[in-house]
Order: sequence, then structure tokens, then C-alpha cells
Amino acid sequence: MTAAASAVFAGYGFRFVETPAVEEYHTLEAGAGASWENSAFRMVDLDGSLLALRPEMTLPIARLAASRLGDQPGPQRLCYAADVYREQASLRGEARQFTQVGVELLGANGPSSDAEVVCVLVDVLAAVGLRKFTVGMGTVAVLRALIEAAGAGDAWAAELLAAAHARNLVAFDRLACADGVEPAVGEALRRVVRIGGSREAIGECRRVADAVGCAGSLDALESTWELIEAAGVADRVRVDFGILRSFDYYTGLIVEAYAPGLGLPLGGGGRYDDVLASFGAPMPAAGFALSLERVMIALAAQDVAIPVRGLDAVVGGEPEQVARTAARLRAAGWTVRMSASRDVATLDAEAVSAGASWRVLAGQGQAVSADGRVLVLDPVPALPAEGGAR
Amino acid sequence: MTAGRLRMAIPKGSLFEGSLRVLRAADVEIGALADPGRLLIVDTDEIRFIIGKPTDIPAYVAYGAADVAIAGADVLAEAALDVAELADLRFGACRFVVAEREGSSAEIADSYRRLGVVRVATKYPRITEAYFADRGVQVEIVKLHGNIELAPLIGLADQVVDITATGTTLRDNHLRIVDEVMASSARFVANPVAVRIDSQRVMDLAGRLARAAGEVE
Repeated sequence: MTAAASAVFAGYGFRFVETPAVEEYHTLEAGAGASWENSAFRMVDLDGSLLALRPEMTLPIARLAASRLGDQPGPQRLCYAADVYREQASLRGEARQFTQVGVELLGANGPSSDAEVVCVLVDVLAAVGLRKFTVGMGTVAVLRALIEAAGAGDAWAAELLAAAHARNLVAFDRLACADGVEPAVGEALRRVVRIGGSREAIGECRRVADAVGCAGSLDALESTWELIEAAGVADRVRVDFGILRSFDYYTGLIVEAYAPGLGLPLGGGGRYDDVLASFGAPMPAAGFALSLERVMIALAAQDVAIPVRGLDAVVGGEPEQVARTAARLRAAGWTVRMSASRDVATLDAEAVSAGASWRVLAGQGQAVSADGRVLVLDPVPALPAEGGAR
Repeated sequence: MTAGRLRMAIPKGSLFEGSLRVLRAADVEIGALADPGRLLIVDTDEIRFIIGKPTDIPAYVAYGAADVAIAGADVLAEAALDVAELADLRFGACRFVVAEREGSSAEIADSYRRLGVVRVATKYPRITEAYFADRGVQVEIVKLHGNIELAPLIGLADQVVDITATGTTLRDNHLRIVDEVMASSARFVANPVAVRIDSQRVMDLAGRLARAAGEVE
């Protein structure tokens, strides 16, 4: 699965990076404020510095890019497949170590880079074999502008964002109608978080937000949509102005991936133009991360078998000949297990239990399948279709 | 993306009749749900109704066994699972209150001064803990499963946190309400992913039920 994702990343010109599993805690704090306060594993080193096991990859990569790639010309396209570590609520069966695959597109902004991030996400989900999935796309800019226009203070704004993030529309509506909120803006807020659909949803949001002068950021989203359409993936994408991610560092585009049969998003991301500035190298940036484990669950829920290369042959016989024959077969691309069995009956049994398509008695120059087909091994053929694909 | 019937969990017990009323008012066909007998799953053309214990409903929805549900705000808060709360259906209104034995205030205050901890009996440990934590009061929680109002009378706890619609039971047992923790009513909730990928049906139903709830009231 990682291989399928890597191929897509490479196809867009993204290059793999690795970062240390241990980060200075203040790196996380500088980039994401208090977001990780309750879920990052922390420890103290011998000098008394506070360290953290990386709970995600965006901040480590931002730090890496700011400190080591700052002087490189042009946008950086970086991708990763890495273990991350988080404290989890008990009883939910979520591992405290899991794998994220994702990309970060640094040093570029505007609709074309937003659209690129969305397209990579759609292509990756398709490439790993998901038959049904939806990518939700929105922007935090409209909500931010409306909150600004409401003029009801920071505490109110934080409460409203928390309600929107928890998708608690009952609490959200109550806050939007609270005293001190500009009534027209409150009404616009209530409508905007419920808007979703394809292109027409952007128009609808524009009408609602325009009425209170907050539609400025929608041109960019509309252009992004056009580019996604041009790339031919728009049927997988749904505009949704109710999406909010749990980090407060996002500044524009927001994406989230969903699959039926899994009650949680597969992953998500967005644009975070201010984060790199906190590491001393201001540059725009956007990206996403997928949880590999959740994708696997979604694949299982859709009955998609994860392709695993089976064993092609079990080779037995005289040890020296076994070594020689096995090496020849591997050189021709076979997967081969060497055996100490010297008679056909035990070798057959072993091939069956190992799930190998062929058994080879070294020195005989042929491979025999369970149903009696014979394959001559001089020269060793590239595998016949029914031999390799099981 | 629509696939088959929408799966909707309905709480049995005190919210059941109210749920039927709102569904009817919203022109949702309820079929055999009107009189399910011992059936736990009732299918109509559009919806598969799943009848469950009220406190289990949040789990059905959070884990995706049901797409949407009607559930009390009280059990939602206590379950603290990841579900999207889409509409206030207004029926089943009740309040979470803190109550104590009449005339025991001074005693409790005195014991809190000396011991620095209050003992509270409740069915809702999570809500109780959050309420007292907000006030910086150290609290020892005794989790009970029923007849909460008994606890102060038999010396099991200083106070109780419980739900009440009218306050009659508390009054009859000589308990006095000292504070309100939160107000509760029935909510229409959905699985957070169902909201996104089955948005049309889920949000449409949320809108219809919210309007119907306004009319029923």
C-alpha cells in the first residue's frame, strides 16, 4: 500500500524525506500552539530539555524545510511514510503508534497548489484500491472572516470553532444567535456551516457570505475547483464549508478524506501558510496526511484484498543444488523458499502448506504445480500468469 | 453516495413516544415502528430503524452501526463519543442538577473544609467530574445505577448529580436542588462520516426534524 502511494507521490514529483522520531517539544508548540498538549508523548533528556515523540509529520517537515531547505530555489515537494506517536483515549483500540503517509508542498500558494494537494489525495486513495471514497474540501477563510465580522470576542470565537469542529450544530446555532453577535452575521454563520455539494455550493456560500461582505476568499476556492475539474477528479470531491480540522494552524484550504464503513476520517490536511514563519523561514505551505491503518480498515470494509506477493516455489533436494537452483530462480524474479526435504511427497506437502504455486526438486530442471502442470526451467522463464498471481 | 436504507437508532423508554411524534410530524414513514412489539429492527422503504437502550445509542452512531439517531443530550455528554449533533428536537426536556439533603448545607460545607473533598453519587460520572473540576472542587464520585436520590438519605454521599424533569422525586425525598449543571433534551445526531458522505439525506432529515420539532412544540 505504501508502494502504491509512493508511486503516486513520485508521479507528481514529490521526494521522500525522513525526520527524527524525537523532536524538541517547543518545535511542536511553536508551530501548533497548545494543540498537542494532551496527546504528545513527552520526555526529558539529560540536559533537562523537553522532548516529544513526533505526533505528526507536518511540523517536523516544516522545521526541516525551514532550517535546511530555506535557500533552495522553487517550491519543495516532500512526502513521507512514517510512524507517529499519540496518546489515545482509552478503550477505542487506537494504537499509540501508527503510520502516516502524506505530502507537504512548500513554498507555493494559490489555487494551483491547493488543487495539486487535492488531486494527489484523490489519486492516492484510488491507487491504494479504495472503490468508494469522498474527499471533502473547504476553507477556513470564510468562517474566519465571519467570526471577525461578528465582533463578539475571542472567547466566543473559540467556543464557536470548538462547536463547529465537534460538528455540534445545536451548540453552534446557539452561539451564533448569542447576544453581542451581529444578527446578520450570525444567520450567515448558521447557513455557511451547512453548505455542501459540488461547484454550486461555492456559489451558494458566496451569496450568503457576500451579504455580510465576507466572500473574499471564495474566488481562490472557485479557481481551485476549476483546476480539480480539469484534472478529472472533481467527481470524487465534495465542497463542504462545515469541515474544520483540530489544528488551529490552517489558514485556507481544508481537506478531509472519508470512506463508507469507517466512522472516522481517513486523514486530512490543508493550507498552513504561517507555520514556517515560526521556524524563521516564512513560506506558504499545504499538505495532507492519511492514516495507513484506517485506510486498511476501510479497504477491509469494502472487501478489497490487499495484494500480497505470494510464494512462487519451494525448492528441495541436495543442499548445494538447492542453493544454486534457488539463486537462478530468484534472479529471474521468482519468490523462492529453500527446503531441506529431498523427496517429492514431503516437498509437495510443504509447497501446499506454504501456499507456493510450484515445487522444484533441484537438479531435475523442472517445476511441478499441485495440479500436475510442468514448467521447464532451462532457461528459467519469467513466471506464467497463473504461477505468480494467487 | 447513497447506499440502501438510512440506519436510524431510536431510544426505547422515555424518549420513544416523543421520537415517534417528531418523526410523524416530519412526514417520515415509520411503518411498524409505531408498535414494534419485541422487534428491535424495523425496516421501511427508506429507513432501517434500530431500537436500542438510550445510553447505548451514542456508541451505535459513533462506531457507524447506525448512520443517525435520536438521543438525549445527557447521554451524549456522558458518552463523550465522536458524534455530530445536528438538531435540537426539544422534547424530553430535563435538567441536570446538584442536590443535597434539606438542611445539610452547613454540615457539607464543614466537612468539605476539614476533608477537602465532597462525595457525590451519580449515574453520570463524567458530567459530574467535569462540573466539579470547573469549580475547582475535589470530588469523590460514587457511580450508582438507579435511585440516586437515596444516596444522601442513607449516608452514602453528601450530594447527588441527577436528571430531573419536574423536581418532584427530589422534593418527595427531601432533597434540595443547589445548582443546575446543564439542560438536556432530545437531539438528532449523526455519525461524523455519514454527515460528509451521505450529506444530502442526513442534512435533509435534520432540517425536516428540526422544523417538525418546532411545530410539535
